[in-house]
Amino acid sequence: MSDEERAARRLEQLLAHGSEEAVARLEAPERRRLLWKYRGLLRSFEREQAFWSSTTDNLVLAYERLDERDRELAAAYQTIHEDLEVAAQVQKALLPRILPAMAQELELAVHQRQLSAVGGDYYDFFRLSDDRFAIGVFDISGHGVSSALVMSYLKAQFMSVTERLGSPQRIVEWVNHRSLEFLREIRKYATVNFVAFEPQGLRYVCGGGYGLVLRGGELQLFARPNHFLGLRDRSFSEDVLPLGAGDLVCLFTDGIVEARDANGRAYTTQRLHRLVQQHGQRSPQEIVDAVLADYEEFRERDTDDVTLLVMRKRDG
Amino acid sequence: MSETTATEDDGLLVHGSLMMGYAQACQSLKIVIGRDARRYIDGLEINRWYPLSAWRSLEELVVRHYAAVGPILVKVGMEMMKGWYHLGPGRELITRGQDFLHFQTGGGGFRSVVKGPPERVGTFELAYFDPKRGRAVVRSTTPFQRQMECGVLIGGMLAPGDIDYVDVVNDQGSNLLEVEFH
Repeated sequence: MSDEERAARRLEQLLAHGSEEAVARLEAPERRRLLWKYRGLLRSFEREQAFWSSTTDNLVLAYERLDERDRELAAAYQTIHEDLEVAAQVQKALLPRILPAMAQELELAVHQRQLSAVGGDYYDFFRLSDDRFAIGVFDISGHGVSSALVMSYLKAQFMSVTERLGSPQRIVEWVNHRSLEFLREIRKYATVNFVAFEPQGLRYVCGGGYGLVLRGGELQLFARPNHFLGLRDRSFSEDVLPLGAGDLVCLFTDGIVEARDANGRAYTTQRLHRLVQQHGQRSPQEIVDAVLADYEEFRERDTDDVTLLVMRKRDG
Repeated sequence: MSETTATEDDGLLVHGSLMMGYAQACQSLKIVIGRDARRYIDGLEINRWYPLSAWRSLEELVVRHYAAVGPILVKVGMEMMKGWYHLGPGRELITRGQDFLHFQTGGGGFRSVVKGPPERVGTFELAYFDPKRGRAVVRSTTPFQRQMECGVLIGGMLAPGDIDYVDVVNDQGSNLLEVEFH
């Protein structure tokens, strides 16, 4: 430290803690310097005050801007909320009504719950070209509005072809071929489980979906050899399972079986299969209720859309 | 050797060290925050020359957020010189507060961080200097904000610790920086 700096430090200490007597003892040049040091500190204080005053004004300005943004966001949220309410109503209106032919052949119970106002799980009932009927269950990638719009798009595609083509394989291939470019462009895909009901059984195409038949107490699981809709332009394969009076069919998406409990364990398809088998003699609605009760007790929280259809083939 | 990589679209170039000093002062005073600021500041290179428009963008990061930006710019200028003296080469270049006036208005200061057509670079000259009275006048026609230049002079003169009082006043619109020091 130089003499200059030492002198300056001494004066600073004097200003901070010195007595009147110590100040009175200073020589004239030191007293003069003390004065300027004092004024320097005052000026420095004024500069700090001006700085913090500007900063405070800035904070007020920032809060005002934040408040304005908050109002804009609230207005935008309200618009989105209203749009979503309408979208949810539209999606509900797009859900199918049971066809007369189906009601005659099947006792059906359905549960569907979307994770958000609108969702990507989709099921539908189709009349086929030869007066038979089919059920389709789809899970569109993602959630929310974009998935719901893809659902509407796929519904339109299936509706336009189901009355012209008979086999599930040809129907699914046609829809996949027609939709592939578009779905790739918007980076969406969908699982497919398309099941046509025939007098002695069911014929289905399953790509990523889940299905089973409970027949005489024995579970027969759907083969799942196919790819999803919207991934590649390849053929789909069709499988057949026998279905007689009293047999049970269960179709579902991954919402239940991939749910996790508080410890991170998955619900699993095996658990659902056991439950269906255990309640197999009860009505479809009772089976749906039993599965849902078990799922709700198991899962920590809902993380996906849930769709479950249970149906029993009636006598005659 | 500094590398010139910026375009000369506006004819004026500002050295990266000045940009960096300004940015670091703003960060140190916590007056520039947010993603945009970080992205801009993180990309600065100390050995590059930047077009004046880049400097203006940097200034804008501060100016657009304050209704009364004058006192902020004074503090930024002071903070820049604090960094320059205590963390940079300043201590090697000047030993007394008064020296800073001569240094800054000579070849080593302003002239070393701005280049371009002389009429656009402007000047930073010591027009009057009376150490006995503790008065000086600097005439500035540089492209920089005068309030920041006031802060630069205050910070640079106070940094060595031998001057007890420094004030620099600039009447708005004037190119004169009136310095009082004791």
